[in-house]
Amino acid sequence: MNHKHAKIIFVIFVNIIVLFGCSPIVEKNLVEEIAPVTFWSIQKGEDENFRMSTLIPPLVKEKKRLLSVQVDLLKEGVKGFNLKYYRELKVGQLRMLLISDEIAAEGISPLIDTILTDPDISKRMYLVIVKGDFDEYINSQLGVQEDLDYFLYRMLKHYDNQGKMTVVNLHEFMKALHSPTHSPVLPVFEAGNENFQYQGTGIFKNDKLIETTNNLEEQIFQLLDNDHFLKYLTIRDLSFVLGHVKADVQLNIDKAYSELKLNVQLNGRLDEVGREYDLLTREKLSSFESEIESYLEKQTTEFLKKLQENKVDPLQVGKYTLGPFSKPLDEKEWSDKWGRMEVKVDYDLKLQPLTDIKND
Amino acid sequence: MFRKRKSTGIGNRVERSTSQKNIPITLEVLRERIDNMDDAKIIEHQTQNNKLFVLIYVGTLIDDARVNEAVIEPLQGCVNEKISDCISVSEITDISTLKEAEKKLMLGSVLIFDTIENQLFAVNLKNTTGRGIETSETETILYGAKDSFTENLEQNITLIRRRLPLTSLKSEKFTVGSQTETKIILMYIEGLTNPDFISIAREKIESIDYDQILDSSQLAAFMEDHNHSMFPQFQQTDRPDVCAFALGAGKVTILVDNTPFALNAPISFFHLFQSPEDYINRWIVASFLRILRYFSFVLSLLMVPIYVALTTHHYQMIPLQILFVLVDTRSRLPLTPFWESLLMLLTLEVIKEASLRMPTKSGQMLGVIGGIVVGQASVEAGFASQVLIVIVGISAIASFLVPNYLINKANTLIQFIILILASFLGIMGIFMGIILLFVHLNALTSLRQPYLAPVAPFYGKDWLDLFIRGPLVWMKTRPEALHPLQKWRYSRRR
Amino acid sequence: MSGFSLFEKTSSFNGVYITLMVNRMQMLYFVIIMPVFLIYPYMIWIIIIVGLLSQINIFMLSKWFNSNYASRGYEGFAELFGERSVRLLSFIGLGFILLKLTVITLGYVEVTQHFIFPSLNTNWMILFILLICWYVCSHGMTPTIRFVVIAFLSTAWMFLLLFNFLFQPFNSIHDLFPLLPYEWTMKSWKAVVFIFSALSGPEYLVLLAPWFNTRKKVLKYMTIGNVFTIFEYVFLFIASLFFFGPHYLEENRFPMMEMMRYLESPVFERIDMILISVYLVNFVFAISIFMLLFYGATRIALKRTKDQTTKSGFAVCCSIVSICLFINNELLWKKATNQNILLELEIWAGALTYLLIPLFLFISLRRKGRV
Repeated sequence: MNHKHAKIIFVIFVNIIVLFGCSPIVEKNLVEEIAPVTFWSIQKGEDENFRMSTLIPPLVKEKKRLLSVQVDLLKEGVKGFNLKYYRELKVGQLRMLLISDEIAAEGISPLIDTILTDPDISKRMYLVIVKGDFDEYINSQLGVQEDLDYFLYRMLKHYDNQGKMTVVNLHEFMKALHSPTHSPVLPVFEAGNENFQYQGTGIFKNDKLIETTNNLEEQIFQLLDNDHFLKYLTIRDLSFVLGHVKADVQLNIDKAYSELKLNVQLNGRLDEVGREYDLLTREKLSSFESEIESYLEKQTTEFLKKLQENKVDPLQVGKYTLGPFSKPLDEKEWSDKWGRMEVKVDYDLKLQPLTDIKND
Repeated sequence: MFRKRKSTGIGNRVERSTSQKNIPITLEVLRERIDNMDDAKIIEHQTQNNKLFVLIYVGTLIDDARVNEAVIEPLQGCVNEKISDCISVSEITDISTLKEAEKKLMLGSVLIFDTIENQLFAVNLKNTTGRGIETSETETILYGAKDSFTENLEQNITLIRRRLPLTSLKSEKFTVGSQTETKIILMYIEGLTNPDFISIAREKIESIDYDQILDSSQLAAFMEDHNHSMFPQFQQTDRPDVCAFALGAGKVTILVDNTPFALNAPISFFHLFQSPEDYINRWIVASFLRILRYFSFVLSLLMVPIYVALTTHHYQMIPLQILFVLVDTRSRLPLTPFWESLLMLLTLEVIKEASLRMPTKSGQMLGVIGGIVVGQASVEAGFASQVLIVIVGISAIASFLVPNYLINKANTLIQFIILILASFLGIMGIFMGIILLFVHLNALTSLRQPYLAPVAPFYGKDWLDLFIRGPLVWMKTRPEALHPLQKWRYSRRR
Repeated sequence: MSGFSLFEKTSSFNGVYITLMVNRMQMLYFVIIMPVFLIYPYMIWIIIIVGLLSQINIFMLSKWFNSNYASRGYEGFAELFGERSVRLLSFIGLGFILLKLTVITLGYVEVTQHFIFPSLNTNWMILFILLICWYVCSHGMTPTIRFVVIAFLSTAWMFLLLFNFLFQPFNSIHDLFPLLPYEWTMKSWKAVVFIFSALSGPEYLVLLAPWFNTRKKVLKYMTIGNVFTIFEYVFLFIASLFFFGPHYLEENRFPMMEMMRYLESPVFERIDMILISVYLVNFVFAISIFMLLFYGATRIALKRTKDQTTKSGFAVCCSIVSICLFINNELLWKKATNQNILLELEIWAGALTYLLIPLFLFISLRRKGRV
């Protein structure tokens, strides 16, 4: 048998395999036979551990419905979905994982680990904590809004790395979770009957949700850590709004890890003032600036105090203890030191006023 | 690398014909030979000093008027001793063997038999009427020279010689084909072209032993190093400027009689993507166009296989919105993506091939019908998904960007092979197919030179005229891959 | 071409090929799993120090290339060591080649299974890869060496993609700290051996010496290849530190692939699948070279060097390789508990060959020179 015959026989062999559908790949991924789901919502179950739900079908034209199953284990849920629906649900396009705050408070490590081991699931999947009943919200919106899941995903993608809102994907969460000093954060949404809205940043201690930021804390957090940018910084107490605020944050920890100096330089525009203010002169403007500065300093110190009490570090202060030539602190040492650290906050505000100011 | 040239090829044939050599040439023998040839003419005439001469010629090969003017009239007025002195035509030869006589006769000479001295002459009066020089239709360009080769060998040589007025431009003549006796001219520039190419080409031409060589592509088939490859190992062109360019770069050009297509060799895979227009456009534009050609070649090869791989194996890779559309439309189709694409591609090939064979007007109609029926209707009838139609359409259009027609056809076949691999092993299969393609190209040779030349083996300087077409002033040297004897294009350089 | 001659020298290659081959032989399977063995930021220095060590080896190898034994291939070796010991050495070498071949193939196949086809029977994949390699090999040594250019061009740009990770918002320079080792354990020694083994590969070039024509500048060309490899290793390691941070890095089995997977492309999601498939070119090249070497070594060991290479002989060698791969895959590699045996063995074997071969050649050249 010469070389050419071998080639021909090889080609025939391959053709036979293909034509008779004898593929070495057992799993079938033909698009017409699968239902790629974009999100899983996991809530506390009634009898079992979890209640998982997702939207099917993913088709454009067919009417959607919510599928949910009660399960002990996550992957059991996937199997449960498949038994309920004529297409096989595939997780390769899973874009969001919505976890209820009840589960988050107990720790989400087991859930996350299961998801990590699945090679199909992307590390870019967004994690979201949901307060309230998400299923209820979805059910109420099914008839009203098409492709709700997709647009939810687009929203998260839009705000990713843009400031304004905390958006965290699986990889970022895992990196923070494994870091000895950094506490992971996740966005918290509240789902009601009619609406689904952003609440703030959920702060985790290890894998347990312990705290959600309130409005002002959230803004401070966005400025200090998450992209250092806010489109609108609203301060109700002083009733004004700063626009396009950029923060330049400098952290300094002394050698003994006893004192933290936080210098924040804010650049922004005065967008709206809700009270009577005369900001036409330099003097008045600067007094206004210092009023805001001291207010922010106070609030930030309080926010940091709260974090210190909880021994969590979502602002990644801990990484400033690392130096090229020094031995790093381990997790326990750091949390001890962090809890006792004295914090000095200094804001430096640079405002662009509403109108041109007079020079006198 | 360089083999000693075998010098046996032609000798054999000469020996075979020695048996005929000894037959004495008489009128009877000649008459017998042209028996049953309706167009053969035998005319007897007398000169003024009463010598009898007989003219034998094939009327369809020679113009009667020219015979009259060039042979009969001078002979009738001939007073010289020798007949050959009377004829003013330059090409007049004595003939001593019957074989030679037959050959001359059939190639368009008038045989003159001198009955007194029993001597035979051949006067070449070959009818040179053919079509005039026209614009190339296979390699059309907007700007640049408009002339192209014709079926006339001499004229073709003239077209090249006009562009390269060099005494070092050699043209060696060979005759190939036991039936066709096709004249073949091997052209090269002595002192520039690598002598290996010349000797390999010579050796290959001389070793051809076949009855009919009617076209240059047939000649190429006998000269190729790899007969089983889909890739052409000779560049076929009907543009004299392309040939002149190739000769000047250090290649050899082979002209075949009665074929308007010359062969250039050695070529590389990348030559298939070069168009004569590249050297006319501004270099940045030309580079962009050339990259676009490579890109569309890849596109035309891979788009449909990627569609099949993605829809069969890797739904994860499809962007979410398109995936929704695909799931939606594919759910209603009876065929799997592989069969769907295979049938669509086959249909497209049928339309392409049909429109090529049709007269121009009906060809246009066919295109319209094909477009509407195959595109719109098959989607509506539920045979194919819109996404596939778009993809097949784009890949078909992209395939037309490759200037070389032969590779254009091979393209489709490669596409089928990759398609099968894609349906079998998904993305992995596609890349296995590409690797196999690369391995194949890597092992190919053209005139024993590597086919992927400036890339593998690597010649850095040639990259200036590879994926991009660098400015001409930068291309100071001739392609290194061709190992020319004169490296520099600049004459003042050394 | 007449007959089936695999080891025919139809053209000789210049120094660029040495550069490319040194580089590509060092960028095989181990680069994929490299960060798992290194983990700590201070290992950056280990890569550089071991890189310098490898440079010393390369210096010794270049001496061999400069000697007049090198260009004569088998005869050169035979003259230097005597025919019997060359046969013995090549017999031992068979084992090393087979081990290296096994680990890189199975390693790559495992990656494809993990990321592209989770439900794939890996034996199929091995079969396909070997079939491609057989096709490459069957063209002979010259085109196979020439293939390195394609392998290089289609894979070397990949690390550029990871430049992305240096500028991700969630990275900071602090991920690279501390830069000095504050503790030195067995694991750190292991990392040294691992990197040394990962940089092994150029030692096999001595067997290909007759195909190269450069004698003078061989050190320069090899150094360029080696330096490029070290640069790539350092860069990839720094990128993976930025991406994962030292603590999360430990948890990942294939950090490089995870990084590729995280990349976003405008057209396709999951471009890791494409990149893994493209990287096959490099593996095909390396496996083909090793298969040809395996066949050559078998011929030497069986005292058949003078005979014409035969298709059947080559086919037998290929089938030995494939059977060996299937068996190793079934028995050793698939089971997670067993897998480390082969890998461990290859780490040590690679380090050993890379240490000994240059040294051995260098010393024997010296002794020959003195006598």
